[in-house]
Amino acid sequence: MNLSAIPSATPSLFSPELLPRLPQRLVEIILQSIGAPEWLVSIAGFGVAAGTVVGVFAGAFALLSLIERKTLARVQNRIGPNRAGWFGILQPVADGIKMLTKEDIVPAKAEKLLHLLAPILIVLPSILALGVIPYGREWTPVPLELGLLFFFAVGSMTELSIFIAGWASGSKFPMLGAMRAISQMVSYELPLMIAGLGVIMVSGTLSLPRIVELQSGFHLGFIPAWNICTPWGLVAGLLFYICSIAEANRCPFDLPEGESEIVAGHMTEYSGFKYALFFMGEYLGLFAISGLGITLFLGGWQAPFPGLDFVPSWFWFFGKLALVIFSFLWIRATYPRVRIDQLMRFAWLCMIPMALLTLPAAGIWTLLNRGGHGLLAWLVTVPLLLVPWVIIAVIFNRRLAPATRTYRFADS
Amino acid sequence: MIALLILTPLILFAALGAVWKARPVHAALLLALSLALNAVLYLVMGADFIGLVQFMVYVGAVAVLIVFSLLITRPGDEAEELARRPRSVLPGIACVLPVLAVLVFTVSKVTVPESGSTASISLETLGKALFTTHAPAVLALAVLLTAVMIGAALFAREPAKKPQNPSDS
Repeated sequence: MNLSAIPSATPSLFSPELLPRLPQRLVEIILQSIGAPEWLVSIAGFGVAAGTVVGVFAGAFALLSLIERKTLARVQNRIGPNRAGWFGILQPVADGIKMLTKEDIVPAKAEKLLHLLAPILIVLPSILALGVIPYGREWTPVPLELGLLFFFAVGSMTELSIFIAGWASGSKFPMLGAMRAISQMVSYELPLMIAGLGVIMVSGTLSLPRIVELQSGFHLGFIPAWNICTPWGLVAGLLFYICSIAEANRCPFDLPEGESEIVAGHMTEYSGFKYALFFMGEYLGLFAISGLGITLFLGGWQAPFPGLDFVPSWFWFFGKLALVIFSFLWIRATYPRVRIDQLMRFAWLCMIPMALLTLPAAGIWTLLNRGGHGLLAWLVTVPLLLVPWVIIAVIFNRRLAPATRTYRFADS
Repeated sequence: MIALLILTPLILFAALGAVWKARPVHAALLLALSLALNAVLYLVMGADFIGLVQFMVYVGAVAVLIVFSLLITRPGDEAEELARRPRSVLPGIACVLPVLAVLVFTVSKVTVPESGSTASISLETLGKALFTTHAPAVLALAVLLTAVMIGAALFAREPAKKPQNPSDS
């Protein structure tokens, strides 16, 4: 390629930092050079940027489906997929071909239009939400001023989509799954958003790139100034983490599609490509909610140690994403599924009170730090969060935890 | 202006469908569609914050609450039958007319700003206005929502059995 043909105004076109934006830049430059109008250039640029995001995460989805099965197999002392390609590396391709060639069955009692719409409406919000996350210093596909609000707004559509899927199938198990999904997601969306509110209070902005920028720098030279490294941030981050597992319908909160109880929940009556779309929507949602958690609490694309700025920033983002998702896999492999009453009690009696407490803690933290009383801020907020946490934990363990089940026939 | 011309009929049709549809779930979904299209209208008009909040609150929360209450109260065939009966038209009109009167009165009093002065209101201004000058309205809405929640819980509770654990519903 003739490098001199590229305008000198963009000397850093091939720097590693800008690598994810290379396709977008190239399309823009090509369109400009053939004299396309300005609006076409910007629309094409956005289209290519959106295509990059979808491509990256569709690839990550395929990879994750293999890594998940391999990891679960390793934890459970099995081998996992190992027939398609070297170490089963072609398994996602095989799965894809299988899904695409399966017969598409629509039940006779189903609402045809809604049955078709539901999988699309589940994938759509996940893709939209992925668009506003800052992946790198120079790479936010759509840098919205109200990015966080946009994320929550499109994310709140998922519940309705799951309801449509469950109801339009016209049978019992999908309906049960949809009811479980709605009650679970409504319950866990509340602490999730309240945990996010603390970050908004401290940052004073809804723009996700700005929230990441505010987390730059290091305390004492080596502790990263991420939100998770503050008392309220630690609590809010943990709550956000637990809630994001529940929002992504993953084990131990995978009641909406608990395979051993209600077949596959709202996806029971779907097959072939529509089923694949549900699967894809779920994983894209997982990427999006983990990415948001990383952006809000784990410093987004900021490097974890000082002096590592030569590594492109998006590398850190995806490194953190890989770690967070691996922890999800580990949890899935380790914990059994909770019961629905345990799930609800945990949300309303533990998560929401603690999430509400992070709000005053974040406010006190900001006010005292602004006044220059950093130590006092620690002294006030740590007991404020720790004491109620201990009280809630003790009460929950003593009185509200479900009684141990006795198995009449197994014990005798 | 083009967006307005496309969106308004769609909103109207969705709202009319929400009223005319016999099956409650269809009506609820069409209501959600109409509310979502309203959010799009706000976004097109440049009120980003209001549009996103409209989407989050109405599609994400209110519509979900409606379908959820439909599920727990299970209005089966009798609700369908009720919707088909013509006698529900008169009370419906009686409910709608006062609301319409208030709306027309309020809209007629609004002074439309000149075109070009669509400077977006900052979040800070909006928040301060909500929690100072319009605080009574916000509090009244909160009371209303609480009343609705209690009503929903009453409907959902089965009368014969002992009261369920509140965290389950």
